[in-house]
Amino acid sequence: MSRLSMSRLSWRTLSPWLDVVAIAAWGFALMKLWLSGQMLLLIHPAYKPLTIGAGFALLLVSAVKGWFVFRASRSNRQNFPPMQHFSLFPPGWSSALLLGVAIAALVLTPRPFASQTAFDRGVSDSITMTRVRPQSFTASTKTEDKSLIDWIRTLQVYPEPDAYTGQKVRVQGFVIHPPNLPPEYFLITRFVITCCAADVYPVSLPVKLTNGNRDAYKVDSWLEVEGQMVTQTLDGKRQLTIQASNLKPIPEPKDPYDY
Amino acid sequence: MTQLNSAFTLFLSLLVEAMPFLLIGVLFSGLLQFFVDERKLVAIMPKNPFLGALFGSCVGFLFPVCECGNVPVARRLLMQGAPVSVAIGFLLAAPTINPIVFWATWTAFRDQPEIVVYRIIFSLTIATIIGWIFSAQADIRPLLQPGVAAFVSRRQEAATRPELPSPLSTSPLLQSGTYFLGQSAKPMNTNPAELEAELMSAVNKPLSYRLRLLLDNTVQEMRELGGVLVLGSAIAATLQVFAPRELILSLGQDQVTSILAMMLLAAVVSICSTVDSFFALSFASTFTTGSLVSFLVFGPMIDLKGVGLMISVFRARAIFYIFGLAALLTFSFTLFLNLYIS
Repeated sequence: MSRLSMSRLSWRTLSPWLDVVAIAAWGFALMKLWLSGQMLLLIHPAYKPLTIGAGFALLLVSAVKGWFVFRASRSNRQNFPPMQHFSLFPPGWSSALLLGVAIAALVLTPRPFASQTAFDRGVSDSITMTRVRPQSFTASTKTEDKSLIDWIRTLQVYPEPDAYTGQKVRVQGFVIHPPNLPPEYFLITRFVITCCAADVYPVSLPVKLTNGNRDAYKVDSWLEVEGQMVTQTLDGKRQLTIQASNLKPIPEPKDPYDY
Repeated sequence: MTQLNSAFTLFLSLLVEAMPFLLIGVLFSGLLQFFVDERKLVAIMPKNPFLGALFGSCVGFLFPVCECGNVPVARRLLMQGAPVSVAIGFLLAAPTINPIVFWATWTAFRDQPEIVVYRIIFSLTIATIIGWIFSAQADIRPLLQPGVAAFVSRRQEAATRPELPSPLSTSPLLQSGTYFLGQSAKPMNTNPAELEAELMSAVNKPLSYRLRLLLDNTVQEMRELGGVLVLGSAIAATLQVFAPRELILSLGQDQVTSILAMMLLAAVVSICSTVDSFFALSFASTFTTGSLVSFLVFGPMIDLKGVGLMISVFRARAIFYIFGLAALLTFSFTLFLNLYIS
């Protein structure tokens, strides 16, 4: 037997195993993302059960398929005829690609988005405002219980900033230094997610510091801002602004998105 | 480095969100192929060309397949005597008009439910129109690949002379010997794709065989479609993170170029219709609504991968017609949407 046909033979025995391993690796990758809590960085919690279910299903498929492949290799029986499928890739490439990405997902840790993405997604544009839809309101009497996104939703319904003057605020988010604002202002920002990390978009409110300079608060650091609502004219627009009275650094939350 | 991290997070999130829908799509397409008897379906098809095209477009509800699974089904429908309007309507609409794609699109665009509605209406309308137009061609055989056309001829022969056995009344796998011996002038059935099509219509096989076939089908499609999904997600993530924002905005905010760009992207990326909404989602904040709809309507009908599959049924001329009609209709509908509605 020539060397060429030998290598073909071993490829024919190996390629079913490559499928099995690639599918199993994806099952394990989904499990890892779930158990490590990293899944919350990637998708909206509503789809967590679905994805976990898919992880189990992939493990099951690979186990059953693996058992059949194992049995076929032992008994040397004629396997099912391989179905002719059109494919974009040469045989084996697709599985190798899937396997490679699954390994990357197992090894690497996805990072939450930060200010760079917020700029890319237009944190200072007005289009982000139009994407926030008022949803279910909890008309809480204590305004300091409202999250950042609650404030943006309220503003969407009734945009006049003067209506909120003097109300108490306590919101959490990360810091952005927009170049178009004076140095005593920064934006307290949160990403909102509707489906997966591909569609996160930033919402933010300007924060006014009483004394001096935003440089004391590093870009991308997480803060809890307490203060009162005031109206300021920033960048030619009248905007609802938080007059900060107390700024407390907080650790980056495990679940960095708002819903 | 931050950007590389963001790109990886985005890439992974697209894959993680899409994986369950891909798996469900693959499982369902496999299941229904084995449990729905197409021959009974062909028997109840309306003969009127317009109704036939509409019927074909809606049949996708019974076969939740994405564009990779619909070509073999359309080919089987044609070979089992379905009118051409039904087959073309099915070919174009089935990847979109099915419950799993509705669900996935709804999941992705919960914020903009109008996109789901436009996607359904436009796909249905375009598929019906094109199916209707093709029904004007009385004899479809010149547009088909010789292998499929010969099958259709044999069927018609069998229909006019009932004493001849229908070509599908017995398993062609068992008959293949007679083809090779060449009893008559019949062409030999050596086309592996045709044999596969027969293999797949396994409704009458024992259950264990069907389950085994279902498993193999699932693994195979997961592998093929998963590979395409990985590539598509990588393209989306790269464009999102590394393409300059000004370029994306100038392209994406224009009423006309945004549609053209998204249609081109749809044809190139070849991403499966069960998961393409997640891909489109990453453009939702920068591209016009019409262009997102054009991506979601045009992509499942025509893409590089799909054309490769369609070549196994139609001659190049017919594919060119379908492609041109689909592109023009999608463009005009979504441009109307951009200019007058949204």
